[in-house]
Amino acid sequence: MEHVDHILIVDDDREIRELVGNYLKKNGLRTTVVADGRQMRTFLESTPVDLIVMDIMMPGDDGLMLCRELRAGKHKTTPILMLTARNDETDRIIGLEMGADDYLVKPFAARELLARINAVLRRTRMLPPNLVVTETSRMLAFGRWKLDTSARHLLDGDGTMVALSGAEYRLLRVFLDHPQRVLNRDQLLNLTQGRDADLFDRSVDLLVSRLRQRLLDDAREPAYIKTVRSEGYVFSLPVEIVGAPA
Amino acid sequence: MNLSLRWPRTLASRLSLIFLIGLILAQALSFGAQYYERYESAKNTMLGNLETDVSTSIAILDRLPANERPNWLQQLQRKNYGYLLNEGEKGTPMDMEMPDAPIAMASIVDAVGKQYPMTFTDIPGPRKHFQAHLKLSDGNPLTIDVRPAMVPLSPWLPIVLIGQLALMLACSWLAVRIAIRPLTRLAEAVDTLDPNTHPVLLDEEGPTEVAHAAKAFNAMQARIAAYLKERMQLLAAISHDLQTPITRMKLRAEFMDDCVEKEKLWNDLGEMEHLVREGVAYARSVHGATEESRRTDLDSFLDSLVFDYQDVGKDVQLSGKSLTVIDTRPHALRRVLVNLTDNAVKFAGAAELLVEKKADGSVSVKVMDRGPGIAEAELAQVMEPFYRVENSRNRSTGGTGLGLAIAQQLALAIGGTLTLSNREGGGLCAELKLKP
Repeated sequence: MEHVDHILIVDDDREIRELVGNYLKKNGLRTTVVADGRQMRTFLESTPVDLIVMDIMMPGDDGLMLCRELRAGKHKTTPILMLTARNDETDRIIGLEMGADDYLVKPFAARELLARINAVLRRTRMLPPNLVVTETSRMLAFGRWKLDTSARHLLDGDGTMVALSGAEYRLLRVFLDHPQRVLNRDQLLNLTQGRDADLFDRSVDLLVSRLRQRLLDDAREPAYIKTVRSEGYVFSLPVEIVGAPA
Repeated sequence: MNLSLRWPRTLASRLSLIFLIGLILAQALSFGAQYYERYESAKNTMLGNLETDVSTSIAILDRLPANERPNWLQQLQRKNYGYLLNEGEKGTPMDMEMPDAPIAMASIVDAVGKQYPMTFTDIPGPRKHFQAHLKLSDGNPLTIDVRPAMVPLSPWLPIVLIGQLALMLACSWLAVRIAIRPLTRLAEAVDTLDPNTHPVLLDEEGPTEVAHAAKAFNAMQARIAAYLKERMQLLAAISHDLQTPITRMKLRAEFMDDCVEKEKLWNDLGEMEHLVREGVAYARSVHGATEESRRTDLDSFLDSLVFDYQDVGKDVQLSGKSLTVIDTRPHALRRVLVNLTDNAVKFAGAAELLVEKKADGSVSVKVMDRGPGIAEAELAQVMEPFYRVENSRNRSTGGTGLGLAIAQQLALAIGGTLTLSNREGGGLCAELKLKP
């Protein structure tokens, strides 16, 4: 029998969780809805799920706490998509630090949620990252750079922030998650498709050249992202996880 | 030259002036009184002495044989008067009734006038003096030469006076300084008062009045912060509570069959959602960012912003290079530029960003469009919250009237200034100036 992705929805608002559940069901997913952390734990005891959609603001244990709990326990690799009522950068940062794979700001459209769920599932299945960043160790160090994975910017040797556009960050993150591994253009395109999936029309090659500029990498003698003729690109330096700066 | 005296501007100089004038006047009065008293007592002593001394001296000279008299003159010579055994000098005759007759004259008349009738003459000259002429009992003339003079002042007196003056100057300077300093500190504190950041509390020590003022100021600061916080919490609470029903409605709308009504409902919900988000953002921008400032490479910052627009198909271009690393709060700066760029894209369909480094080290980022611009009279008002330009398409495009207000607040919060102007050839230019 064909595998149907099982999505667990955790939200304290009955109407929202049921509307979301019905919409996802209508679009061919299997869904279970629970109201809080207690019910979520009980359900996960017996049934594994493919992805958890979780509200941040909940009475009792909030989404951030539950997310941290899941990441520390046996559901380390279950993808989590956060729903946040606040459109605030700091919330986003905290959510991602706690180990969520993506987030969506309320009020959201159900079709956008569906697109995100599919993107996260595709991303985590195709190439599971070999480095897992956590709340305390969220910096990826390579060469003379560090990437702050929650604030989504680069830091150079003396701590100056170098900003990245959304697409640049996603591409760099894909490279850093899979260092010294040749990635072809299709893989890169798939993995970098994030929130603006349908609008994203830049070619991978253009993005790579932009990223090289940002990293001050010489396009003729690249030190970071090397071109592999007729195959794709490879990130050629080792990457390590380091603690966040104080 | 303007000779008229002007009341000085500063409180410090006014107080100093009052203190100084008062102290000098008081000092002069007491010095004058003492001087007068000293003069009176010296005069009385001197005149008393003069009477007995003159009568004694004349009695001695009268009894001495005429040839021995010159030998005694030396012993009878006094500081202010002496004796001459001749007719004396010619001078203006003086009368006891004259209004300016020296008092010494009366004393001499009192002492010996009864035995020896005498005449007085005033001798003019560089040192004014007068002489009394009389005949001794043997018929020889005798002249008393009187040179009235006060006992001279001590040479150290002016030094003491100068010392006193210096002491008064120092004291009034100190007093004024002590009185003015808390006021200056208070003014500085009010100047730098920014309820959005951590309050700068005044020291509540010191003299009662100063401590009172400091306490009142600190309390006022806390009240302003509390009001702002309350306003922020109110806005945040309302918009948070609205988000859940809007989410439900959006989800329900997605189950509806496609029709014109669904489309309209969807647009209305979008507008509500936008307003709720902007409301929260405005409340937060007024309350101040909690974000830490960090060293930011400005060119890559602007590049990434522009690429984010281009990646979703918006016509946003960047020109110029600043080659600068600035200390700023990146999210706040991004929000300012995003709001300006969104406006430009909304009203003109395209935005041009221009970054320039100025000679004084400051950086200017201009967000320009070729849209309808804003009437000159309204340029200042559009930065106010919920203000919408008349006749603009703002309402129909779902503007909240908060975008520019948020940009303005955040620009201030990161120490920059935001100015709007109309471009030559049409369109709006929003310039954000950042200090080095």
